[in-house]
Amino acid sequence: MPERTVEDRLREEYFDLLPDIRHVVEHMKAETRHRLLAISGRLDKHEQIKVDSRIKECESALDKLRRREQGRIFDQEKSYTLKDLKDLAGVRVLVFPRSRLEEIDIALRPIFESRTADPILGDGGETLALKYWGYCPEASSKVPGEYQIVPMLTGLFWTVEHSAIYKPSPRYKDAVRTPQMQALRQKVLEALGAFEEEFERLVRDEKS
Amino acid sequence: MKDLARKEQALRDAGYKYHFDRALYLNRTAKKAFSIEFIEDKPADELEQKIAEDAPGPGWHFFFTKEPSDAVQRELSRVLG
Repeated sequence: MPERTVEDRLREEYFDLLPDIRHVVEHMKAETRHRLLAISGRLDKHEQIKVDSRIKECESALDKLRRREQGRIFDQEKSYTLKDLKDLAGVRVLVFPRSRLEEIDIALRPIFESRTADPILGDGGETLALKYWGYCPEASSKVPGEYQIVPMLTGLFWTVEHSAIYKPSPRYKDAVRTPQMQALRQKVLEALGAFEEEFERLVRDEKS
Repeated sequence: MKDLARKEQALRDAGYKYHFDRALYLNRTAKKAFSIEFIEDKPADELEQKIAEDAPGPGWHFFFTKEPSDAVQRELSRVLG
């Protein structure tokens, strides 16, 4: 009988963890919606908050661990665990305008017993989105969850990028790591940020 | 970013191509491969020096920030051909 590979063991672990992953994502989604109710109720017409959730698929989870290895190859002599991934259960809150980010950040603080900040940074070190991970003991003590609070246009760009490029062809995830692609991606993110800021300024001016 | 552009140019000038599946810049004639992490981590001067060096032996030579195990080197050499 052929020896079991790292991939075989990780797939088995994934399906052992799957009920917990489902509990965590459902719990986080409900908590997020509940904690945002007060803010959602007093949004202006042009303002939006959208809550998305997802369970990371088995092969995406393996791929993420594999991409931590240089050469994108598992060392069959090393041991790996999917519990090292913080985003098996994930919630993303898309926010427009950016001026709402802070109060949403405060409102969502109690989701985890204790949360660890891991912001998503741009090439210049600027914060593109807030990201936290932690445990919801009511849902699972084994699987952590992650939530992101993202300016809407940036988040939608990531969603389009994911569904148009990475979802059908995960091998292209590392394409954006080349210097040329990083520079172009940074320009897109800067343009989206500038667009949102200018729009917000116009809305503020009109109101004042 | 300027430094990264210089590094990418150095790799292109020396005939290195990007391998999406492995996130490596490789040159099949020189049998040398640089991980994207090595390229991001090391200064441009060091990268250019490593590009210019002759490979020490007949097989693939990998430039990683952390020395890959023998098993990983064997498997990568097999898949890269």
